[in-house]
Amino acid sequence: MKALWENLFKNWNKQESLTKAVLKQIPVFHKLSDRQIHDIENFCHKRRYKQGETVFKRLAPGEGMFIILSGTIEIFTEDNNKKNTLAILNNGEFFGELSLLDSDTRSATAMATEDSDLLAFLRPDLQSLSKRNPQTGNKILFNLAKIMAVRLRKTSEQLSKKPTELV
Amino acid sequence: MTPQNQSIDRFYTLVLIIISFWALFFIWPYISSMVIILVFAFLFTTILLPGVDALERKIKSRLLSTFLVMGGVLILLFGFLSGFASGMFQQSSEFYYRLTQENYVNELNDLYQRTILSIPGISNIDDFEKPQLVKKIQVFFSGFMQQILSAAKSGMNFIFFTAMTLVFSFIILNEYHHFRSALVSIIPNKYFEVGLRIIHNIERQMSKYLTGQFLAASSVAVLSFMGLLILNLYGANITLIVFISIIAGLSNLIPMVGPLVGMVPAILISIMNNLGSEAALSHLMFNIIPSPFFVFDIIIMFIIVQQIDNNLITPILVGESVGLHPMVVMISLFIGGVVLGPLGMLFAIPTAGIMKVVIQEIIFLVRYAHLL
Repeated sequence: MKALWENLFKNWNKQESLTKAVLKQIPVFHKLSDRQIHDIENFCHKRRYKQGETVFKRLAPGEGMFIILSGTIEIFTEDNNKKNTLAILNNGEFFGELSLLDSDTRSATAMATEDSDLLAFLRPDLQSLSKRNPQTGNKILFNLAKIMAVRLRKTSEQLSKKPTELV
Repeated sequence: MTPQNQSIDRFYTLVLIIISFWALFFIWPYISSMVIILVFAFLFTTILLPGVDALERKIKSRLLSTFLVMGGVLILLFGFLSGFASGMFQQSSEFYYRLTQENYVNELNDLYQRTILSIPGISNIDDFEKPQLVKKIQVFFSGFMQQILSAAKSGMNFIFFTAMTLVFSFIILNEYHHFRSALVSIIPNKYFEVGLRIIHNIERQMSKYLTGQFLAASSVAVLSFMGLLILNLYGANITLIVFISIIAGLSNLIPMVGPLVGMVPAILISIMNNLGSEAALSHLMFNIIPSPFFVFDIIIMFIIVQQIDNNLITPILVGESVGLHPMVVMISLFIGGVVLGPLGMLFAIPTAGIMKVVIQEIIFLVRYAHLL
């Protein structure tokens, strides 16, 4: 009887997977239901990058975003062989999300500074997801638009604070 | 990697490719049937995938969606094949029975005499014996029946082939997204983004092409049905028009050759049904052009259907689905026909479309190779 009971309610105490937990933290996937997060998880690709391996290079055409499950990724540009680090990203952080909207070139290089597990969600995946589940696709696009709007507002504020530097 | 190491690496890659092709050449005869089955299953999957995905969204079960869609297709396929086979068998039996009737023999001989007389230069040849013609037709038909029996034997192979294709289609449809993920997971990190892009573009190209072709084939079938219905209103007496229309629609999938295949059963059935009818024999198309047994009416009707399809329906429904130059289409059809016969002609265009996508992506890859 106990075995039957445990079998019937085996999912009640089931731990949420790391991937799902990380996905829920990402602003691009905010306000999505468990079912929708599960759908997105099915479309994501787990990739392992060794220390020093390049995720993508600057000026390469972008195809989508990467989410860090574990490890560290350095985002940098190079001018005349001089490395200019823009950000060091850790667990739960993401990069390259604007490539979900267009195939414009990457603005910086991303490289794993230690062995890292990444979750890739690319534009073809978003297109397929939108086709299969338009509601989820719309929510993601709406979240992306919100992220863009916040960034644009910040840039406008910064520009309005320094009008003399523009000349 | 030093330039010397790079050269060694390329040399080994080249050797590996040559060995792979050499091995493939030897094992091809053993695996060719399985490869063809898998190709068919893949095409079938591409056609049914949107339906299964849409149903899965509604009923939240992949297995049940696949089962329902495949079941529906099987019922339609079985219904069509059994209906067409019984219809054709009945048609042939009736015709064979009528051939054995005495008055029919006279009518046939009369028809032959009149045909001979109407052809200048042949009318004076007097080597025609009355019973000979009917005997020839009877021999032809008894041979035809034997051919049907032998065709039934090879039909068993066809059933096995179809069953295997359906089983593979079911598995691929049910596990499609897992198979896709597994395929993506084996792509090296360096080519990950571009690899996924190629897979996505090939899928999109195939889906667009097959959906477009399916819609175009359906519209040809509907137009043919309407055309045959109109001809029947003018007394053409063509039976099995639903099946003829479906055959016309399906044969339309093979460009250039297909439309001709579609009109053959219509002409044959018209001749079978109208043989002995004076009105059908002396029928005039538009009251001007002699068209015995409505043969020219049928040909003109199918040409009109093809023109509507080529100039109106296909450009709207299919659009530039594959975007291949007509010259490339013809060359692909020729190569496909030489390599695999009618099957090759069926696969020629989608294969050329996939090759186009791959070549485009290779050009893209070469352009951005230094950034990978």
